[in-house]
Amino acid sequence: MRKTTLMVALAALVAASPALAQEITVWDFKSGDPSLAAYFDKVKNDFEVGHKGVTVKYVMQPHDQYYTLLGTALSSNAGPDVFLMNGGALAKSRVPSLLKLDDKAGGLIKTLTGLDEFKGPDGGVYGLPITLQGHVVYYNKKLYKDAGLDPEKPPVTWAELQKVCEAFKAKGKVPCFIMGNKEGYGAEFFLSSIAATSLTAQEQTDFASGKLKWSSPQMKAILQAWVDTGKAGWYEKGANSTAKFMDEYEGFMRGDGANTIGLLSDVAHWKQFGDMLGAENVGAFRHPSPTIAADKTAGEPKIPIAGGIGYGVNKNSKNVDLAVALVEEFAAADPIKVFVASAGVVPANTAVDLSGISSPSLKSIQGWLTTSVAPTAHANSSSEELEEWHRQSQKLLNGETTVDAAAAALDVVQAKVKPQK
Amino acid sequence: MPGAGKRQKRALWIASIPMAVLALSCVYPVFFAINNALKSNKAYILDRLSLAYEPTLANFVQAWTRSHLNEYFINSVVVTVGAVLLLLFVSSISGFALACLRFPYRRLLFAIILASLMIPIQVVLVPFYRTVIALDLVNTRIGLIISYTAFFLPFSVYMMTAFYSGLPRELIEAARIDGARFSQVWWHVMLPLGRPALITLGILNTLYCWNDVLISLLVLQDQRTLMVGIAALRGEYTTNVPLLSAGLVLAAAPIVILYVFFQRQIVSGIAVGAVKG
Repeated sequence: MRKTTLMVALAALVAASPALAQEITVWDFKSGDPSLAAYFDKVKNDFEVGHKGVTVKYVMQPHDQYYTLLGTALSSNAGPDVFLMNGGALAKSRVPSLLKLDDKAGGLIKTLTGLDEFKGPDGGVYGLPITLQGHVVYYNKKLYKDAGLDPEKPPVTWAELQKVCEAFKAKGKVPCFIMGNKEGYGAEFFLSSIAATSLTAQEQTDFASGKLKWSSPQMKAILQAWVDTGKAGWYEKGANSTAKFMDEYEGFMRGDGANTIGLLSDVAHWKQFGDMLGAENVGAFRHPSPTIAADKTAGEPKIPIAGGIGYGVNKNSKNVDLAVALVEEFAAADPIKVFVASAGVVPANTAVDLSGISSPSLKSIQGWLTTSVAPTAHANSSSEELEEWHRQSQKLLNGETTVDAAAAALDVVQAKVKPQK
Repeated sequence: MPGAGKRQKRALWIASIPMAVLALSCVYPVFFAINNALKSNKAYILDRLSLAYEPTLANFVQAWTRSHLNEYFINSVVVTVGAVLLLLFVSSISGFALACLRFPYRRLLFAIILASLMIPIQVVLVPFYRTVIALDLVNTRIGLIISYTAFFLPFSVYMMTAFYSGLPRELIEAARIDGARFSQVWWHVMLPLGRPALITLGILNTLYCWNDVLISLLVLQDQRTLMVGIAALRGEYTTNVPLLSAGLVLAAAPIVILYVFFQRQIVSGIAVGAVKG
């Protein structure tokens, strides 16, 4: 009898072992970052407590190899159950390998913003964003005071911004903007920051589809502003040789420049700058534009916003339901609150309680998110257009080309990648 | 001839200036890495080039724990030693066969091996990964050893074939007349004579295997190698340079120590291999 019982118990254990050994593999490029450890630990612990016998395994890949490896794994019908991805083109190109989440995570989706960057051609949601990405101008309040400006009254119109930059030019100590346009990224951020206020909602849509040309008056005004600000001496010497990530932002954190067009999440944001300069010494404002779109108001600039990073489920996963549940856990309000506090992101989940965070910059950004957002023009450009914009922006800043010639060159590329009927 | 001595001394001084600059350009990155590894990230951002006035070992501790360098180091040693030994054995035997034996399609075979040198790894990643999955070699050290051997073998075979082709055939013929089988000729004659080339090849393959990131990332997904751990210290947009420097110092230390102990053999191996190979 005892032998039979033992055999039954053993058989039950063997039968149960696949369930006991269930493991959900997550690929990402973030989980090894010590500043994010609290968030990743919370997601793992909460999920494993809520799903007995399931283990979450993080596999962090170096970012520069990440999409090559992910592509190889997905093409081989292998790969992780869940993976992290950047929103926009990188997420959209993975849609064939992703599970549609509308029905499975519908409740949570209602609380998320920045979903457009994770939608497929059918309009379905294929990834849940955990952060929002966008651009505001961060400024150094001490330098504003040194230049005789009121640090609590940042510019809201183009004329006011011009006055600010004239003050810094007159002082001659630091440039008005520290700009890293080595690979053209400075121009990318400038384009989106100005377009947010100078293009109407319809024009943004038309630009994304290729209907609004680079040589249109609206787009040429942005190119002209780029040239004018360069000529007016807003940027440091050698801006085309300054790397955006690292050099530009490290320069801002050293106090080598008064303003910088930064990000909302990941890096170059309110928390990073606040940690270096003191949160009370960092302010944020919405980049004003020289022209105001018909559906916008002067003195009320908009900020370009897009979905930042998010998680999707591999449709070939053997544990689809668990994988969906884990993706929901990643985007849920409680873990994201930990993410915001430790790493300084702007969350995609609108249910996250941020009342405990005292950063004045974040408070300003939070306010604008509900009233002053617009699409991110560069995120809606093709990679070919951006590559050409990188090239043309450097030539414009160096005075090697004209606005008309640059716009014509960009039109050619746009027509190739977004042909119009 | 006191004048000639003076002239010679002056010429030596003049020659030593560019040599010193060259030496400095090699030593400075090492100094930069060690110096910045001892700084906090804030101190690095505030002044990248200054000395570490308030040195801290926190970056080493964080790199060690975050990169799991202790585990990854063992993986790197095992796969590098395994792959290099296998590569040396297979390339020596193949080189001997291609250079010294006469069999049909020998040249064609050599040309095919040479042609495979021209295929970039990225082009064959998908079929390679599928093969590794099909053979159930994912997450196994032996899988990575075999992969390294496969990818680095064409160059190794080419080099050993070139080296053995330069040796006099009379040596083989003499051994054959003395009654040695081909395996004995390889073991007793060619292997000892091929030592300089094998040392050079060993060094090159050790560097390739130790520094590889891409193949290792695909095959060893659970247990990383050291360089993958180091690569993971780099951020998406920005990098914590002091932390990365600490990781690099820790990763480079074993190779530097090995070099210090075996520099005579390594240098002579490279020099002899360069002349004969």
